[in-house]
Amino acid sequence: MEMLDALMQIFKSNMLEIPAIQPIVDPLMQIPWLNLLVALLLWRPFFAIVVMPGLLVLMICLLYIIWFERKLTARIQWRVGPLEVFRPLRGAIQALADGLRYFFQESIVHKEAHRPYFVQLPILAFIPVLLPIAFIPAGNVVGIKTPYAIPLIVAFLSLIPITVVAIGWASNSRFAFIGSVREALMYVAYEIPFIIAVISMIYLYGSADPYVAVEKQSIPGALLNPVAFLVFIISMLMATSRLPFEIPEADQEIAFGPFVEYSGMLFGLVMVLAYEKLYIMSLLFTILFLGGWSGPQLAILGDLNAPLWLVIKTLIVISVLVIVRSMYARFRIDQALRIGFSWLLAFAIIALAIGVVLGYEGGI
Amino acid sequence: MREVAIDVPVEPPKELESLFLPVPKEYVEEAYKKDEFLVLVGPQHSGSGHMRLIVRVKGDVIQEVIPDPGYVHRAIEKLAENRLYIQNIPLVERPAIMDSANLNLGYVRAIEDAMEIEVPDRAKYLRTILAELCRIGTHLYDAAILSVFLGHTTGFMYPFGIRELICEALVKMTGARFTSSFIIPGGVRRDVEKETLAWIYSATFAIERRLKSFERIFIKNPTVIARLKEVGVLSKKEAIEFGVVGPFLRASGVEYDARKVEPYEAYDRVDWDIVVADEGDSYSRLLVRANEIGQSLKIIRQCITDIPEGKVISDQICEGNDIRGEFFDKLADIVLPTGEYTTITEAGRGSVIFTIVSDGESNVPYRLRIVTPGWLYLRGFVESLKGERLADLQAIYGSFGYFPPEADR
Repeated sequence: MEMLDALMQIFKSNMLEIPAIQPIVDPLMQIPWLNLLVALLLWRPFFAIVVMPGLLVLMICLLYIIWFERKLTARIQWRVGPLEVFRPLRGAIQALADGLRYFFQESIVHKEAHRPYFVQLPILAFIPVLLPIAFIPAGNVVGIKTPYAIPLIVAFLSLIPITVVAIGWASNSRFAFIGSVREALMYVAYEIPFIIAVISMIYLYGSADPYVAVEKQSIPGALLNPVAFLVFIISMLMATSRLPFEIPEADQEIAFGPFVEYSGMLFGLVMVLAYEKLYIMSLLFTILFLGGWSGPQLAILGDLNAPLWLVIKTLIVISVLVIVRSMYARFRIDQALRIGFSWLLAFAIIALAIGVVLGYEGGI
Repeated sequence: MREVAIDVPVEPPKELESLFLPVPKEYVEEAYKKDEFLVLVGPQHSGSGHMRLIVRVKGDVIQEVIPDPGYVHRAIEKLAENRLYIQNIPLVERPAIMDSANLNLGYVRAIEDAMEIEVPDRAKYLRTILAELCRIGTHLYDAAILSVFLGHTTGFMYPFGIRELICEALVKMTGARFTSSFIIPGGVRRDVEKETLAWIYSATFAIERRLKSFERIFIKNPTVIARLKEVGVLSKKEAIEFGVVGPFLRASGVEYDARKVEPYEAYDRVDWDIVVADEGDSYSRLLVRANEIGQSLKIIRQCITDIPEGKVISDQICEGNDIRGEFFDKLADIVLPTGEYTTITEAGRGSVIFTIVSDGESNVPYRLRIVTPGWLYLRGFVESLKGERLADLQAIYGSFGYFPPEADR
């Protein structure tokens, strides 16, 4: 009992204050046992990681982005797109239906595969994808508060391609092998400009703390350093292997690359990997360039304002990014590498120079 | 660039022996000894129809390509020897269903040559409209396949969307979306109404307008240009040597078009230009065909405005203007005089040659020879792959619009 009380004290000391739902929360807090659950849910670190901008929103975002991408592509291509799964919402839960189908399908592990790695790597790949969520702050809703949040997120993002390469290796198939080699080459091409672009913004704000970054963006970072903005967007397209840089997964050439041998639930897991990476990178992008969680405050939403603004901005960023899928053809690997190592790197260095000049003596 | 070689003993994989490769075992061993290896593209792949390319690559660069066609061989020439002349009309359309009217036209013209049938003017104009509609359909189909090879799905959907208008026009004219067998010896099956021609006339403008959006999103797309430009180059000399035909020959700078050289039907009465490019790369092959669509639309419009009134079937075949009801009475027993009759027709993908050999007494051809453009430019296609990267194979394949069912017949 004492332990529960202690827990309650911890939760209560750091609870979300949302005036809109306070009339519901107050009576619930009177009920024993249930109040513990409510307090846990509204405990800021828990809320940040599990609800918003964490796992729950990530799942909703996955549903939304797959549906929106398909619907937008269909509209551009004079088609209708997903419609029949849930007509009132124009096929909005198509991704959920696909996920269910994957779930009940047989996951085939072929003879040549390195079985333990083949099965566990799709799950291991989620560690670097999901860990950054703990460090991404949204106002005062934050999992782990640290001044080094931005470098940490970048570090975790850099780990993802390693799991993809390992997946290709464990598959032990020639398409998967070519795909993972392509992934490794692309990784080298985009990672350096990407990190330099982030460093230029850190210089600009004079701190690697997202709170400082957001605080200093009275003018959005996109306008302060448009070159870094451009480099970040292009390396984001490369990192999430979207067209025109959909090279590691080129359907027509190597049949979905590293993930060619997966089926069933395992395929469902590896398929959403790129989308989750896109979500995390868009969150980072919003914090660095679009003013993060700042926005008009509604008094009735209280603490919920900040995560809401962060998620809305992120969703807008993703929605804009998916349009490239229906606009561009695929580059060849050598062309993509040339882009990465020549002018993308050059622009990144220019961005760094801008960041250093503007951020001279402790940032703007 | 300095080449680094590590002396690792490599054995040719065992499975290469069991795949019925049309290359000797020594060739495979030699390739593997030279630090090169063989990649088999196909027979099942994302292209149109089945064919195998045996690609010998060094690293990522293609050294040599050995084509292995014949997976969709349907023995059309042999089948034709057992059928009546008019029963062969639906048969010879089958190699390239998108291009049915042009193949149909070549075969029928050979019969007309042999029997010296004079075709009425109105029928000639209708045949020209039909042939040009099919040409546009073929070019759009090939452009769509090329774009899906490059991973550009919008470029795939747009031409197929535009092609629906062509299908609709063909339905209104002939009653079938493709393989309409509308062209018969002596003319066409039936007259086409004025309203239908007016509909096709306005449809040409609709096609042109939609083609503009296709041009914006695909042809002028920087990523597409980056993938296609200076890839798979065939010089003028090479193109002539390898016997490349059609738009692919014209893309290498040779001004040759069977419609201009030996005009048939109404082609000498309408005003149009041969589309030529000089570069001979994949991009110019795409551009030539895209511009040919414009020329075809121009020809269709002129044909519809200039079309004369009159009969659509020759007096030698039928007294009335409608062959319906007496089709088999009039045409089933035609016997060609002894001899060999050859026609060259410019189909969508190039010259198609029809040769009918008749013994003068039977009502089936003694021998029917079809040389389709796909078969003719296969050599140029595999030669242009040399020295390119493996990822360019798709781009070059698409830029040639290689269609195995047409090549294999």
